[in-house]
Amino acid sequence: MGAQLLWFYPNLAEHINFLRKNDEFVDPQLITRVLAAVFSRDAFFNPTTFTILYWATFGFGLLALVGLFTRPSLFLFATGTWIFVAHLFSYGDRHHTEALFAIFLMVLALAPSGERLSADAALRRRRTGVRGAESSDLAIWPLKLVVVLLGLTYFSAGMAKMLHSGLRWMNGYTLQGHTLADGLERGFPFGVWIAQQHTLAIVLSVFTIAFELFFWVVLVVPRRWAPLLLLAALLFQVGLYLTGGYDFFQHMVLLGLLLLFLYPEWWQRRVGAS
Amino acid sequence: MSDDRRKILASAVIVLVIALHAVPLVVSAERGTLWPFMVYAMYKHSRPAGPVEVNQRRILAVTASGARDTVTPDLLGVSITVLDQRYHRPLMTGDTTVIPGIFERLNRGRADPYVELDLVSETYTVTDTGLARRENPVETYRAPEVMH
Repeated sequence: MGAQLLWFYPNLAEHINFLRKNDEFVDPQLITRVLAAVFSRDAFFNPTTFTILYWATFGFGLLALVGLFTRPSLFLFATGTWIFVAHLFSYGDRHHTEALFAIFLMVLALAPSGERLSADAALRRRRTGVRGAESSDLAIWPLKLVVVLLGLTYFSAGMAKMLHSGLRWMNGYTLQGHTLADGLERGFPFGVWIAQQHTLAIVLSVFTIAFELFFWVVLVVPRRWAPLLLLAALLFQVGLYLTGGYDFFQHMVLLGLLLLFLYPEWWQRRVGAS
Repeated sequence: MSDDRRKILASAVIVLVIALHAVPLVVSAERGTLWPFMVYAMYKHSRPAGPVEVNQRRILAVTASGARDTVTPDLLGVSITVLDQRYHRPLMTGDTTVIPGIFERLNRGRADPYVELDLVSETYTVTDTGLARRENPVETYRAPEVMH
């Protein structure tokens, strides 16, 4: 919640710029089309409505963060976030960075969020003297769903490369080309350097394909191995950012949450030992 | 709501979310418009063995008073993909039909309109001794109303 609110929150100026300079969408997302059909394009997609929506969504985000009307606030915050991202991606550009995080935000509203550590729980305790349940089997399912979706999406990315390019994707030249183009364009000198290391590019290409095709085993390996795979995924995402500016910060946050909360034994053991 | 019913609801949502990821795979016409349910086929293209070479390009817009600005997605009011696909790439191949559209977008509501566009590009090649940079000739285009 905090990450979405303080780090990934939409840029209102960017949305208003698009609204002012475009009379039509390039490739409207389904969410955008539904809103345009229900409210009419001009009635909804204008700077005034978007400014109101921006601050309303921010308000719901604050409420969700402190846990006041937790689940309705979460739902409205996630809905607002979906609308903003869908609007941004209706102008011919779309990225994968926000998708899983947005789904995670939405399913949080369906889980028993805010039962223990929230303003709602504090008010309930004060009013009735009843403490919430110590734990719930259902509280963790959004994080477990994220693991499944990460496995699914990494596998999808790996399979697309294999089906489209086959083993040639791992010839080193492919990765050199991608990192050179994006490293130069986005100003990432490490990517420009990697683009000049052919052997290293082959090794990293093989690692990328192996990682993407087999990350899903995190779902079936013994629990003690799962943090290692999540850590590998986190390093993979950090590496992507450093080489080509592929800013999957939302994935990094999700992987951090999984390491902290879904598989807490590995760090609890170390904290306990010290 | 009982725990059993909550579990059934959660299970239904899980199945739905996973299943929705199959929709853009199956419905190709909607492949790019079902966010947040997407196909993760980015960077699937490969390049053959051989020299690694990339082009970097940008458009500079010049006003009548001589001020120069880089044409960014923000300035043009388009996404970076549209800037690249609709403007950069056609210009790189010599397709000048996109020029009036760029001027029209750039000059909306401007008191000091842009009158010239310079397409600047460099080619970078990975060589045995490092990265070689070659500046390509600048292509200049005048606004339609100041062409003569």
